[in-house]
Amino acid sequence: MGKYLLRRILQMIPVVLGATLLVYALVFALPGDPVKAMFGDKPVNEAVAAQIRAEYNLDKPFIIQYLLFLRNAFTLNFGNTFAGQPVIGEIARAFPVTIKLAVMAFCFEAIFGVVFGIISGLKKGKWYDSVILIVSLLLISVPTFVTGFAGQYFLGVQWSLIPVTVSSNTTFTEMLFPAMVLGSVSMAYIIRLTRSEISSNIAQDYVRTARAKGMSNGSVMMRHVLRNSLIPVVTYLGQDLGALMGGAMITEQIFNIHGVGFLTYQSILKGEGNLVVSIVTILLLVFVICNLIVDMLYAALDPRIRYE
Amino acid sequence: MTDNNQNLYETLPGQERYVAPIEETPLQAVDKVDDSAPATSMWADAWRTLRKNPLFIISGLLIICVVFVALFPGVLTKQDPNYCNLDNSLSDPAAGHPFGYDMQGCDVFARTVYGTRTSLSVGLLTTIIVVLIGTLIGAVAGFFGGWVDALLSRIIDIFYSIPFLLGAIVVLQMFRTSSSIWKVVLVLALFGWVSTARIARGSVMEAKNLEFNTASTALGSTPIRNLFSHIIPNALAPIIVIGTTSLGSYIVSEATLSFLGVGLPTTTVSWGGDISQAQVNLMTNPMVLFYPSMALAITVLSFIMMGDAVKDALDPKSRTA
Repeated sequence: MGKYLLRRILQMIPVVLGATLLVYALVFALPGDPVKAMFGDKPVNEAVAAQIRAEYNLDKPFIIQYLLFLRNAFTLNFGNTFAGQPVIGEIARAFPVTIKLAVMAFCFEAIFGVVFGIISGLKKGKWYDSVILIVSLLLISVPTFVTGFAGQYFLGVQWSLIPVTVSSNTTFTEMLFPAMVLGSVSMAYIIRLTRSEISSNIAQDYVRTARAKGMSNGSVMMRHVLRNSLIPVVTYLGQDLGALMGGAMITEQIFNIHGVGFLTYQSILKGEGNLVVSIVTILLLVFVICNLIVDMLYAALDPRIRYE
Repeated sequence: MTDNNQNLYETLPGQERYVAPIEETPLQAVDKVDDSAPATSMWADAWRTLRKNPLFIISGLLIICVVFVALFPGVLTKQDPNYCNLDNSLSDPAAGHPFGYDMQGCDVFARTVYGTRTSLSVGLLTTIIVVLIGTLIGAVAGFFGGWVDALLSRIIDIFYSIPFLLGAIVVLQMFRTSSSIWKVVLVLALFGWVSTARIARGSVMEAKNLEFNTASTALGSTPIRNLFSHIIPNALAPIIVIGTTSLGSYIVSEATLSFLGVGLPTTTVSWGGDISQAQVNLMTNPMVLFYPSMALAITVLSFIMMGDAVKDALDPKSRTA
């Protein structure tokens, strides 16, 4: 187990380096000169511009810029935005909001996805199975921003059941509906995944054997069917936790939540490259670590898997 | 026979229990294999299953309709989607304009009809590129193994770990001025090929250990020939399934990018762009947003249902009675 963990962490290093390099290259290939933009309508003072370029390492070759960024990132020193704010401060303000939103969305999709998936998978062909299936298909095929707008319009504006936007307090009730919107598509995928896993596992020989031994129906379900069915679901959930943090962009935009997605989108539009790569680096780490945890969880769920 | 009947159930000397004479055992019936059905390939078998699946029939008909609208939008409406008259801004539906007008005074029905072509082209082109590149890279990684696999797998991991939407926005931001749909197609393909490659790699690794490869090698075929004429065709089923399903999700992604303002320019008639424009007047005229969203949802839904039906047909394990 320890050896396996070490190998996985070693494998993560080139992935994280490669991905940050790719993102860094993409972001800093953005057209437009941010230093020029800082002067607005005023004529560019070359001396000041050169000083700013030196301050942000923009005068150095690309690969040196990247290496300097990496060195600083290790000490969580991400430098300043072009507006003069420390990047780490902006991130520290935005991350708790998004983590809250993502964790709420994650709980929502995990609980409802698995529960509805089990109900649906065990009672295939019943009317509520059809209802669950149709609703999950609709959630997948309607884009999140339409679901968000529709909910905002009907539940928020027409029937005043939920707050229309989220204030800076980000209270639980305010965040509840945005979190549901954020988790809705994944929930639909989890329902479908759980349903197909349950219904294919239930037809397996080991289930018949367990029943033939005289095992009660509840035990067969809990110890055999569910345990085997949940392995792919756990994989999906693990990958999704990382994706939720980055995917909150649309939801945060609609409900005016000032989290990471909102900040990233704004900084891409403003050309704040430094902020963009810093956020993406952190998101990457979250994503890769989530995947690692999922792999470790496998061993707990499936005794056949042993890491040597 | 009478002789036999007489000592029926009587044990003969040296036997502990009665053994039926050989003529009485209908061995031929046990051996008989039903060869009345014609020999079929996996694809013919899948097609037979598909034809009987109502999910396939419904989604197939819907897809035919969507493709027809995309090819011949002029049949459904004589209106020019780009003819906009501010006098009609947000007007109610009228004769010949069943969906009313949007804020710019454009006919919503005409725009929804003409938007079909854009969305479908983006979905279709992206899927073709993704399936070609993903299958090729995944197959090479799975087939050759060793350092080739290690290298390609790390590249796949790198692309996989970058959040899709974030990467797409960053790249599209560079091509803001371009108005061609190819920029969206290429960006979606750039971040989309990884999932197909992963699946192709897995199923090629599975297919390459099957016995027909040994047989083919014994007959003198080269590994590359094995790869293209035996392994890839046998590993194709899961790739086709994910291709069909993700066609729908590319259409959604295009709409999302257009909604964020980095996708297609407003001069191109597209559902995502129209939904994004209609969002401003959501509180007063929700129907302007409803129609393109509905068209988008129906299109995506039919491709997902088609994917489900194809999956049921190609994967006998998931088939239910």
